[in-house]
Amino acid sequence: MASAASAEPVPTSAVLMSASKHIATRCRGENVAFIKCKKDDPNPEKCLDKGRQVTRCVLSLLKDLHQKCTKEMDAYAGCMYYNTDEFELCRKEQNEFEKACPLS
Amino acid sequence: MTEAAIRKKAGMASVKDMPLLQDGPPPGGFAPVRYARRIPSKGPSAVAIFLTALGAFSWGMYQVGKGNKIRRAIKEEKYAARRAILPMLQAEEDERFVKEWKKYLEEEARIMKDVPGWKVGESVYHSGRWMPPATGEMRPEVW
Repeated sequence: MASAASAEPVPTSAVLMSASKHIATRCRGENVAFIKCKKDDPNPEKCLDKGRQVTRCVLSLLKDLHQKCTKEMDAYAGCMYYNTDEFELCRKEQNEFEKACPLS
Repeated sequence: MTEAAIRKKAGMASVKDMPLLQDGPPPGGFAPVRYARRIPSKGPSAVAIFLTALGAFSWGMYQVGKGNKIRRAIKEEKYAARRAILPMLQAEEDERFVKEWKKYLEEEARIMKDVPGWKVGESVYHSGRWMPPATGEMRPEVW
């Protein structure tokens, strides 16, 4: 469930929650810009470009993480999937993942 | 007859002169029995008890506070993760919505093309803000 193919990790909730700390640091600019755009005008058509930037950043980050630490990321996302995104139940896999792919 | 056999006395004239056979106190009487209560007033004082209870309570509340801090950190981690992935999810939903909305606008234009002065996709509100569709536009299965 963590990745459909070996190249592209599918952004399921488990995968996204596992990579959430990395997303928070590495895609912070795009995220903040998108949220600000949304706050000014909630119309989806007006913030499509910023949304595309966010999606591009997150997907490329997921691919990069998956390539750098495939086994650890798969283990962590699998644990999150099994435990419905409970961080407390996946501490071991989380520590191994963050040791292999450190939070920049 | 057996009573006389038990309680007989030498030289008894009749049964009425038998000596008494009673259960009674030993000679000299029984030992004195203490029946007065003697509750000792030693042990912790009221102040000591109160301070102990206060100390136990304070230590307990301190442990509660420590535990709450840990639980709050756990919750904060969960909320921070949700905040981090929220824009991605919203962006994906926006793409999907825009696609569906365009389909609906085409349908509306087709239906209302002969109505004079009809602005397709015009907001039904006067506030100027964008409002999400609320009257079943996104549910073609129930049109």
